[in-house]
Amino acid sequence: MASKNSSNEPESEVRVTDGTRRDFLKQSTLLTAIALTPAPLVKAAENGWDEKIAAVYEKVPVSIEVNGVKHQLSVEPRATLLDILREQLDLTGTKKGCDHGQCGACTVHVDGHRINSCLTLGVMTSGRKVTTIEGLAKGEQLHPMQEAFLKHDGFQCGYCTPGQIMSAVACIREGHANSEGEIREYMSGNICRCGAYPNIVNAIQEVKEGGQEV
Amino acid sequence: MKEGATNKNGLSRVDGRLKVTGAARYSAEFTPAGMVYGVLAGSTITKGSLKSIDTKAAERAPGVLAVITNFNCPKIPGYQPEPGKPEPAKGTYKLFYNNKILFNGQPIAVVVADTFERALYAASLIKAQYSADKHITSLKDNRDKGFAPGDGSESKRGTMDAWKTAPLKLEQEYVIPSEVHSPMELHAIIARWDAADKLTVWDKTQGVKDTQDNIAKIFNIPKDNVQVNSKFVGGAFGSALQVWQHEVAAIVAAKVVKRPVKLMLARADMFTSVGYRPHTWQKIGIGATKDGKLVGITHEANGQTSTYEDFNEGPTRVTQSTYACPNVNTTYKLTALDIGSPTWMRGPGEATGAFALESALDELSYMLNIDPIELRLKNYAETDPESGKPFSSKYLNEAYKLGADKIGWSDRNPKAGAVKKNGWLEGYGMGGGMFGAYRDQATCRAVMMADGTLLLQTAVSDIGPGTGTAMVSIASEAMGIPAEKIKFEMGDSSLPYAPQQGGSSITATVGSAVNDACKELKEKFQKLMGNGGTDNPDYAKILKDHNLPKLEVTTASKGGEDMQKYAMYSWSVHFVKVKVHPSTGVVKIDKVVCVADSGHIVSPKTARSQIVGGAIGGIGMALMEEVVIDHRYGKVVNNNFADYHVPVSADIPQIEALFVNKPDPYINAMGAKGMGEIALIGMAGAVANAVYNATGKRIRELPITPDKLIQSNAVVGVDS
Amino acid sequence: MKQFQYVRASTQQGALEAINKPGAKIIAGGTNLVDLMKRGVTAPDKLVDINHLPLKGIAATKTGLHIGALALNSVVSENNLVVQKQPLLSMALKAGASPQLRNMATVGGNMMQRTRCTYFYDTTMPCNKREPGSGCGAMGGINRMHAIFGASPQCIAVHPSDMCVGLAALDAIVVIAGRKGERRIAFTDFHRLPGDHPESDNHLANGEMIISVEIPDNNFAKNSYYLKVRDRQSYAFALVSVAAALDIENGTIRKARLAMGGVAHKPWRLFEAEKALIGKPVSEDSFKQAAEIAMSGAKAYEYNAFKLKLAPATITEALKHAAGLV
Repeated sequence: MASKNSSNEPESEVRVTDGTRRDFLKQSTLLTAIALTPAPLVKAAENGWDEKIAAVYEKVPVSIEVNGVKHQLSVEPRATLLDILREQLDLTGTKKGCDHGQCGACTVHVDGHRINSCLTLGVMTSGRKVTTIEGLAKGEQLHPMQEAFLKHDGFQCGYCTPGQIMSAVACIREGHANSEGEIREYMSGNICRCGAYPNIVNAIQEVKEGGQEV
Repeated sequence: MKEGATNKNGLSRVDGRLKVTGAARYSAEFTPAGMVYGVLAGSTITKGSLKSIDTKAAERAPGVLAVITNFNCPKIPGYQPEPGKPEPAKGTYKLFYNNKILFNGQPIAVVVADTFERALYAASLIKAQYSADKHITSLKDNRDKGFAPGDGSESKRGTMDAWKTAPLKLEQEYVIPSEVHSPMELHAIIARWDAADKLTVWDKTQGVKDTQDNIAKIFNIPKDNVQVNSKFVGGAFGSALQVWQHEVAAIVAAKVVKRPVKLMLARADMFTSVGYRPHTWQKIGIGATKDGKLVGITHEANGQTSTYEDFNEGPTRVTQSTYACPNVNTTYKLTALDIGSPTWMRGPGEATGAFALESALDELSYMLNIDPIELRLKNYAETDPESGKPFSSKYLNEAYKLGADKIGWSDRNPKAGAVKKNGWLEGYGMGGGMFGAYRDQATCRAVMMADGTLLLQTAVSDIGPGTGTAMVSIASEAMGIPAEKIKFEMGDSSLPYAPQQGGSSITATVGSAVNDACKELKEKFQKLMGNGGTDNPDYAKILKDHNLPKLEVTTASKGGEDMQKYAMYSWSVHFVKVKVHPSTGVVKIDKVVCVADSGHIVSPKTARSQIVGGAIGGIGMALMEEVVIDHRYGKVVNNNFADYHVPVSADIPQIEALFVNKPDPYINAMGAKGMGEIALIGMAGAVANAVYNATGKRIRELPITPDKLIQSNAVVGVDS
Repeated sequence: MKQFQYVRASTQQGALEAINKPGAKIIAGGTNLVDLMKRGVTAPDKLVDINHLPLKGIAATKTGLHIGALALNSVVSENNLVVQKQPLLSMALKAGASPQLRNMATVGGNMMQRTRCTYFYDTTMPCNKREPGSGCGAMGGINRMHAIFGASPQCIAVHPSDMCVGLAALDAIVVIAGRKGERRIAFTDFHRLPGDHPESDNHLANGEMIISVEIPDNNFAKNSYYLKVRDRQSYAFALVSVAAALDIENGTIRKARLAMGGVAHKPWRLFEAEKALIGKPVSEDSFKQAAEIAMSGAKAYEYNAFKLKLAPATITEALKHAAGLV
């Protein structure tokens, strides 16, 4: 984990607070933003100024590598990786379908493993490598799974498709694409309401049998 | 594979590359300068009125720009009653119009903040005081309040209730619960006011022109001042056929904060605020002679609607026109509940009715000891039994044969509950579907560019079936040029008129416009060439020879008088093999074959996917989908994807989709009829019939979940 | 979601100190906690991220298998030692959630996940677990998914985990750390019944954290099975699930372990049925008798009476699978 190397990382030491908002603000400031915060604003916080000013400090710096590009971001701890990708980085290929880990449309790879980005806090991915659908192709050359989805018509509306493809790639990498039944089970975390499942299974089988590197 | 490349199965999706790379942008995926976020807060009571709303905490929260409620909402001009006229008793729901609460989850405020997280949190700080009235949300307990909707709900041919006089007869009740469309894309809109009377929206809609029209009316601004963009729609299945309250909320909010506002519904809102298939009770009385000729059918239905709108989807229509039965009478009643309005959902009306009709036919087949297909063939309608008109085309009998052969119908044991393999009961079932084949009017602009590429423009939306792909296929054939040289533009209200994508009518309607425009354009070229023109000219060369930068036509197209002369329907039949575990009640779909008789198939690859997708929707309807309401609170308790189940990959085997693929001679030049609805209609009945064949248990209330099967008392392995 | 303070713990001691404050919560995979925070069911002031603690290991010990609290559900389910020594746990894990969620969820987090009762999740509804004293919405409401064993008038919710059903059957031990040191309790004693305090799911005290789970070696590897009955074939919570493990010698049952999910506020171990199986021949009849014994004391509510039939059927089927009769 690269976290230790970054001076912007939240520290692990914990200070005592009395739980009030102002105190929270002081804590956040002390823990995470001291180096970036102009002294007068720290004073403002300590003097219990307006909540809206306080809000400035509720953000923490994170460093996330997305599709090979490092991003230094300032985010609220409550911001999910999904919302950070879509709203801050304009990587809208990762979709919001339920926002509660119940559909798989938001599937991305973190350090090579598929996860639901809607239940992942952005701050927790600091120092990690994220791959989204936008990072799958090599320039103009589509990933074999993208090609296979086109060939087998593994989608209709296309909204669940990025999540399906990220999951499908992981499914093969994990070694869970050895039979139709296994693929179906290991692709069940990605709902497709248009009903492209059989085509998706066929696409995955073809890529798996094709033996290309995924 | 190259985008749009053809193979033996037909054209690949022309927008496929954008979809598999994440480059396709849906409604919530634009960022106009200065954009902020809107989040709705919903009513926590089901009926009554709002006494007050405390928005102070929300307004004080970081990043909040505005909190809009009915107490401070600017007047929405289109909601105001016409001067001098009384307020209509019923009509579309009006956002923030007054303090009345008509359903649980009804928006009571929209909070606008600089980030999504802040807007969402601030919305949770809103405290409302209500005066609650007694609500009713149960159809089951309130069927006695059913009333006949104003726009036609009864039919009768021959003798009333003639089924009662038949030698063999049955009368049964069939119930479908409310189901939600649940497209994967949450409904979303970005609204930006470009001037006091000029608006741009990026909006999830099945029809940009209709949305343009409706928004213009609601905000009383010129239609041409409303620009609606909806190039990619992440599924809808009917849920995006009208302008809903969240769209109005975002537009109002954008006006108030003077910045573009993005508003995306939460999944929970998708259960209350964008319609659903209505919970419907049905009763069928059906009678036949001993050799299986139908004597009469009586089909009664009672479905839910809201208190403020009558939603009439006509579930009994399917019974009127499917079988050659001399005596058919139907009634349809609505019960008004304190729930938001239902709306069209894939196969509206027919999907509900066909579950009852096809289940009843199956039950009758066991009573008669006649094969279910044979029973249907014995009552095969050669002309529309309701109108007496000839069908424009009907090859359903061929579809029966194709499907029966493919699934191995001959392996079906006519005795229910008789086949057990490796501890699982096995059974086969079939069910048919039909839906009107409609052709509306549409206009297409076709432009041949100097480099020989063809640009097609029409304001249709594509919610997933692959409209662009079908249109390119049609144009490719009409113009004699490869698909790669054709660009199809849509989802933009500034383009020539096209109707909403609904009612399985787009290929027939917009396809005709594309086809007509191409023909007209080609004729223009042939005129340029004089009489020596060839069938497939070199368009680029002709343009160059005539020193023309481009050549274009704008062609309007609509159905001719054949539309009146013939009864036009698409037909389908679904075959299913299931395995049912006798003690746990688990149902596994083992095999599915669907056959569509929908005229000429213009885009085989996407058509196949559409049939497969509809079948899967039907499997969801049959086995798991059900909106559950706790009637004490009037609230949906399974308003999420963990509790409202739709099929996942593990539920779905390979599905065979077959086509009769014979052109309809009258509907349009391509001979193409629709198939979006028939893909689903009849499927739930087929599954229920297969479950019966496997277990001897007849489940007449969907969905067929394990609990119902293990509690049902039918005796397995014995004739019923 | 309410704002909160986020800190990363780099040592176990640091984590224990950080959570020793009202309003502080540990976050590991976050699959349940973030969801609950999004819905406003819980609103911690501070999240202590423990993912960087060295608690991910899976190792064989002299007496059994040690699994760190931060081992991912997916990793545990595929781990060779687990698959060979405790296949029941692997099967139970694979029956839960989705591949993506299993890649996030940890063993400790899975144990800490809260009920999926709709009334608990919906903050506009009464729920004694979420808001003590507000009433039980499920009792007179939609209780199809709810308990048939061990419920109280205060709460009829069920524990949603599959993994925990497997661990309960396998006599696992939970190792818990507090500021005063470590303690070990039987897995079956970790979760609790609702009684008068449904707000409390388990016996983890404030300021304590789970650091590992230990499974003693056994002879069940050959004859284990996890059967989950649900409304769809995958990615759904159990209507009823059964973990069954048998130690069979020459067609006779020497030892049996049985636990059920989807039926109680905790993974429901079937001690009496296990006893009844000892010395019995491997047969469907033996299993049906055991299932009948297991159902003693079961009580249904308006919508979950089917579980009175489904539970024994699932026990019987799971045992048949475990014994190789299917």
